[in-house]
Amino acid sequence: MFLALKEMRRARLRFGLLAGAVGLLVFLILFQQSLLNSLITQFIGGLRNQSAEVLVYGVDARKNLEGSRVTPAQVEAVGQVPGVAKATGLGEGTFTVTAAGVLKDAVIFGYELGGPGAPTTLQSGRLPEKDGEALSSASKSEKGFGLGDQIQVAPAGVTMTIVGTAKDAKYSVAPTLYTSFATYESARRSVNPDAQVVLPSVVAVTVAPGASPTQVATAINAAVPGVEALSRADAVAATPGVSAITQSFGIILGLFYIIIPLVTGLFFLIITFQKASSLTLLRAIGARPQTLVWSLLIQVLIVVLGGAAFATFLLWGASFGTADIGVSVDPAAVATTTMVVLVLGLLAALAAVRRVLKLDPVSATTGQGVQV
Amino acid sequence: MRLALRELRRRPGRFVVATSVLALISLLLLVLGGLLDGLTLGSTGAIRVQQADVFVFSATARNSIPRSRITPELRAQVEKAPGVTSVGGLGIGQFGAAVPDHAGLVDIALIGYQQPATGIPAPPAPGEGYADRRLESSGVSPGQTIEVGPAKTPVKIVGWVEDSSYVLQGTVWVEPGTWRAAQNANRPDARVADGLFQVLIASGSGTPASLAASIDAATQGQTETLTKNDAVLSLPGTRQQQSTFLQIIFTTLFVAALVVGLFFSLLTLERAGLYGVLKALGSSSGQLFAGLIAQALVVTGVAVLIGGAVTLLMVRAVPPTVPIQLVGGRVAFVVSGMAVAAVLGSIVSLRRVVRIDPASAIGSST
Repeated sequence: MFLALKEMRRARLRFGLLAGAVGLLVFLILFQQSLLNSLITQFIGGLRNQSAEVLVYGVDARKNLEGSRVTPAQVEAVGQVPGVAKATGLGEGTFTVTAAGVLKDAVIFGYELGGPGAPTTLQSGRLPEKDGEALSSASKSEKGFGLGDQIQVAPAGVTMTIVGTAKDAKYSVAPTLYTSFATYESARRSVNPDAQVVLPSVVAVTVAPGASPTQVATAINAAVPGVEALSRADAVAATPGVSAITQSFGIILGLFYIIIPLVTGLFFLIITFQKASSLTLLRAIGARPQTLVWSLLIQVLIVVLGGAAFATFLLWGASFGTADIGVSVDPAAVATTTMVVLVLGLLAALAAVRRVLKLDPVSATTGQGVQV
Repeated sequence: MRLALRELRRRPGRFVVATSVLALISLLLLVLGGLLDGLTLGSTGAIRVQQADVFVFSATARNSIPRSRITPELRAQVEKAPGVTSVGGLGIGQFGAAVPDHAGLVDIALIGYQQPATGIPAPPAPGEGYADRRLESSGVSPGQTIEVGPAKTPVKIVGWVEDSSYVLQGTVWVEPGTWRAAQNANRPDARVADGLFQVLIASGSGTPASLAASIDAATQGQTETLTKNDAVLSLPGTRQQQSTFLQIIFTTLFVAALVVGLFFSLLTLERAGLYGVLKALGSSSGQLFAGLIAQALVVTGVAVLIGGAVTLLMVRAVPPTVPIQLVGGRVAFVVSGMAVAAVLGSIVSLRRVVRIDPASAIGSST
């Protein structure tokens, strides 16, 4: 312990550079993990945190909510399928709205009030109870979407009053409003005077007590032509773009997890090579191999933990500039990543440990040092 | 310099671990760059191929093509704007399409257009369309008739066009009437009246910025006109993707410089005695440092080659849902970035090389 710390104090630049490199790599992992979680939540939070257990898409939509339309006949047919307790139309669209006097993007969900499709993560206020009321997903940083604010669909469309807010209920990375289907219909018509009819995007389904959403979805697909029913979890996972984002980030994060232990292992292996003669001398004057190995492992521990602390500090700093995309310091994620990196770093240091254990104290008497 | 290169030849094992780490960092940079280019190019092709100076959106659309509506009256105002010499309309609808002999539906973006674009001829006859080559892997081929949307609007494919995809979907280019028919039959709530387009493309005299300002002034703020470059960046997520990926790429390059610095500073420390002898024999600090840089560049070069080869294999192995695309410019950027990182990283050792005293060669230590 004493030896390890003394050496680190005397070679601050060397260990500082390593801790800096490890810290930057851990920062990139933490940043990307946070970005991935935030992106996924902002992308499909509105689907994940709503009350319909099954969502029924138009078959040509290919599980894309924005591109899906279902007919009134299909809504009715879904309601007749065994295992379905309630089936109502749910509309979704992206609109330009005026909030706090400024034009902004917003997603609007229109559902039958009191029916399936209502947000389930109410944070403040209440759910909408009549036309013209809406619940907002927006965070405090997004002005104009707070409790009591009024939002108008542009240009000169329907106006909604925010009566509640919900957590993690965004869709398509935009502030999301939940309102009655009639209000949604008015919004649709106001932006397109040529619209002949406003169809629901999907059928929102509550399953009967004891029925499984997956089985009910299968039954709907068998009974109703032209639709594709998915359980809520499947609808979330199948949303276009989610798997591409997850797989792309998975590849990048996987590479980072390989690089960090290699950088750490490389450093300690080289440093052990360089110290070989000194370590041999220590062995010759009675130092036990365990003492030297512990010294090495303590250095790995300090470098990785120091790097992780530096990474957390960087992430904290970065979170101020990326609040709009939701990057934040999650203590659980930091702890888990640090543990994984530490274990990988210690494993990577095994090559250096092996080299230390192979040192022969007798060679100190030959004047040749140790061959590396 | 020759001594440094000879050391690389005679004792390559000494550099294996550093080369491996740098190869992985190169792989990471190439994959990151490939993902960025795959996402950007796959999303923006339909805009990039347009031969126009500016794109005209309706003012409240916030640069979103699906939300923009340009009526014939508004178009007439754009056409009369000072400097405007040509105007064309564009409309885009995203649908599932049934392709003969292909199980399931294929995602397509049906684009109604008036003016030929780069690689895209003048609009075909009504009911016919040019398909983006991206759709070939989904079973689409010239001569087929695909059925668009739940209304099964028929479109006969009469040829291929290249690099024209839209938000990662293959496109089918049709004349405006065919696009309107498909839109109105399949999306009754998003109907488009005769003469209506979602956006206009326009060309004219002056700079694109001045032309955009002229159009917006002529329409009295009913339009928001963007230059082509801004229109590309205004596509959903494009700007954010570029800034996020570039930040990660530059941070990773910084880590590469740190790794090179770390490795060569340790190597310099190890060779301090040897450098002392070389200096005593007449070698200058500059010569010794040039040798170090040469070694750093060779190690990095080999690492980039290995990383590049692995990236090529990876690009072939990843599922098609991962939008990765290697582009020459990006590869050149990564190679030059790694070379700069190698030189900057090896500068860490400069101070130590300069400080080595030739007189130390006489003693037993430096």
